[in-house]
Amino acid sequence: MSHSTAKAIIELKDVSFSYDTNEQTPALSHVSMRVNQGDFLGIIGPSGAGKSTLAAVMSGAIPHHYRGTLYGATMVEGKDTCEVTLTDISQVVGSVLQDIDTQMVASVVEDEMLFGLENFGVDHDQIPVRIRQTLETVGIADLRDREIATLSGGQKQKVAIAAILAMRPRVLVLDEPTAALDPASSRLVFDTLRQINRREGITVVVIEQKVALLCEYCNRVAVLNQGRLVLQGTPHEVFQHPDELRRIGVDSPRVARVYNSLVQKGIAPAGSPCLNVSEAASLIHDLVQKAGKKNIGAHDTDTTPDVVTKPEAAQAPSASDVRRFRAGSRHAVPARPHAEGAGPVVYLKDVCFAYPNGGATVDDLCMSVYPGEVVGIVGQNGAGKTTLTKLLNGLLRPSSGQVRIAGIDTKDVPTSRIAAHCATLFQNPDYQLCRDTVLDEVAFGLELHGTPTDQARQRAQVVIDRFGLPAKEAPFSLSRGQRQMVALASIVVMEPDVVLLDEPTSGLDYRECMTVMDTVSQMAQHGCAVIMVCHDMEVVSDFAERIVVMANGRILDRGQTDQTFAKQDLMRRASVAPPQIIQLSLELARTTSPDFAGISQVSGIVDLTQEMVCHD
Amino acid sequence: MTNVIDYVPGNTLLHRLNPVTKLGIATAIIVATFLAGTYPMLLGLLALTLLLGVYAGVFSRLVSLLKLLVPLAVIMLLLQTAFVRGGDVVFAWMTSEGLITGSKACLRLLGVALPLILMLTVTKLNDLANACVEVLHVPYRYAFTFTTALRFVPVFSQEMNAIVEAQTARGVEYDTKNPLRKLQLMLPLCVPLLVSSVGKTDATALAAEQRGFYLRTRQSSYKRYPMQARDKGVLLACVALVVAGVLL
Repeated sequence: MSHSTAKAIIELKDVSFSYDTNEQTPALSHVSMRVNQGDFLGIIGPSGAGKSTLAAVMSGAIPHHYRGTLYGATMVEGKDTCEVTLTDISQVVGSVLQDIDTQMVASVVEDEMLFGLENFGVDHDQIPVRIRQTLETVGIADLRDREIATLSGGQKQKVAIAAILAMRPRVLVLDEPTAALDPASSRLVFDTLRQINRREGITVVVIEQKVALLCEYCNRVAVLNQGRLVLQGTPHEVFQHPDELRRIGVDSPRVARVYNSLVQKGIAPAGSPCLNVSEAASLIHDLVQKAGKKNIGAHDTDTTPDVVTKPEAAQAPSASDVRRFRAGSRHAVPARPHAEGAGPVVYLKDVCFAYPNGGATVDDLCMSVYPGEVVGIVGQNGAGKTTLTKLLNGLLRPSSGQVRIAGIDTKDVPTSRIAAHCATLFQNPDYQLCRDTVLDEVAFGLELHGTPTDQARQRAQVVIDRFGLPAKEAPFSLSRGQRQMVALASIVVMEPDVVLLDEPTSGLDYRECMTVMDTVSQMAQHGCAVIMVCHDMEVVSDFAERIVVMANGRILDRGQTDQTFAKQDLMRRASVAPPQIIQLSLELARTTSPDFAGISQVSGIVDLTQEMVCHD
Repeated sequence: MTNVIDYVPGNTLLHRLNPVTKLGIATAIIVATFLAGTYPMLLGLLALTLLLGVYAGVFSRLVSLLKLLVPLAVIMLLLQTAFVRGGDVVFAWMTSEGLITGSKACLRLLGVALPLILMLTVTKLNDLANACVEVLHVPYRYAFTFTTALRFVPVFSQEMNAIVEAQTARGVEYDTKNPLRKLQLMLPLCVPLLVSSVGKTDATALAAEQRGFYLRTRQSSYKRYPMQARDKGVLLACVALVVAGVLL
């Protein structure tokens, strides 16, 4: 199906929009694009690129709800959105908001489904059928009578989708539907969207930061930067431009990076990049085999069909080479040796905790973290990760067992004293910010712990300069990414013994994410122990040297990052999908050469492939 | 996380009554509490509320609310005894008249707060809104505003919790024992909370409009809320209760 001949359901013609006439750069400028019937369109871009604004234009919230200056025209089913009411538009374009709590109107799933149907005057005889069908499509028929407050994040998201879907819109627009979800639930939500898209023929437009998901589920991707549409096309077309994407701050899937490096080195033919593990595995497998066949042909040796492992036997890299590939190069995490003779700065022994009103518990947690280490904690939502961090920073006290931070038993001291040794960067920086200017904000923590004001402000100024933040601005006037930087700066300035990161990268674009993680790594190099809870396994594998795997309130296993991620059975039990490169190396070790086992970085895979292919 | 006003599922008569009737019960108890002047009546009304709570299986909710209200009532009692002077001195500064007025004020405070909460815990907010629209002919937008406001209470209290936790983890002494100091530390947090709540209500308005809020009429509701014989019976009893309040 050629894209230009398909029927457009939403069409933007040279649309520009600014929320405020004094704005220097408009939120959207000169965007022209079409969404065709049956598309599964992903919208991606760095923070502040205008993604949510674009969604608002498509759903009619602009011009009908948000004030601002709009140029150009948006046609929904051939009608200009300026000329029809928002209620009419929303019968064609259903939208699911970013913060679904604000969208919900009821306390029980069934009532939530009823609201839209009742309002749009659906025949009362048909309502029960509609509700049943919609719940079945979304796969939550069993939740019909449940209280919404008792649902998990993923289930809630599906209810929000079902409530919109019940009104039978022809397009569904979703703004970061998986931002608050763990990887497993995110996939389930996208599976649901695919189902809706394929079976019901509903067009889906989704704003999403997780590139790997977009690549797998979307048939088209649009990239925004500074209000402009910079790239659009199929995922394969868009991710052919890794340099441009990197420049504007959009991540590429790791396997696409492998492919692009191979192309740069002239090993793989330029063309369509790999977007998932199996594509990359078969590409490398073919490359290695072809090279192997060539060699074998030249030497006129036997060509038995079991060449799969044979060629490498002839050209296997030396043991020292393999070690080098395993270590990876650029991004690999060097194992930071503990400072000589230093004791653990975080020490948990047999820690148990149960919330007073029932619900989640954690049991028998034991762990030690040494100065200068970066430790990742991975597991599904509800595995007990957040409870663990709260036990560490003293917001919760263990019901039995011992938690020691920098030599202090958390049972003995108030939380505010533990805070001097253990700083936490929360997922949402807005909970942390409370002062009038950035300078006050960053100095605040120091002042709380008794540093004289002038000295605190001096130290704060140094850190603010290093981060390039505006010292005199009010924190709340900054962008989401910058607010996270302010929160980070106010932690760096404390020079704590332990840093806890709770989902440090959620809501940030790729570039902001890297700034945060690089800063944290530097702190670790200066002897600070870093413990991070993170759903982005790529980030964990890039920055953590050890991981702790949790499920159901217990620690299942722990160990070196790449080795632990490679334990397939463990990952399955914890419902954690290992990072793409580790999946790729496992797959290649199985099909192509055992030498691939244990490689955890893009460069390692690329170098080993090069070695195998170019070996004469 | 459960909240005091969250719906508690059940199948008792109290659950099955028309939401408007339940509103009637709560109103009757409250009005009677205001009108009643004697201890037996005040205590009786309080006992009635608690018994209804036990019957509907929401007694634990009422108890957790009492834990909040009783200290407040005690403070009120102390203030009343300081202001209302007359009669004999019973103890320290307290006079007999002050104690009587004060204790009645306390009972009234409890008697007014509990029935409303009782009613909310046995009624789904949507049913309440829809029944008010159907039976009392309240315009839907008012009913919706009211139920949305109630629905936001837990959302905001979670938000406030998260803020306090984040600030405690930074070293602000919310764990101080001094309540005045704590209040002083809490006040600056109202600004971030206000900022986020304005954003949330705006998003709610948008979402409601996109789901056809303005098309809704009194006939829209799929569920019907007819007043049945038992509702009328209960309402009659409510009238009797108010009359008793006037007389006693």
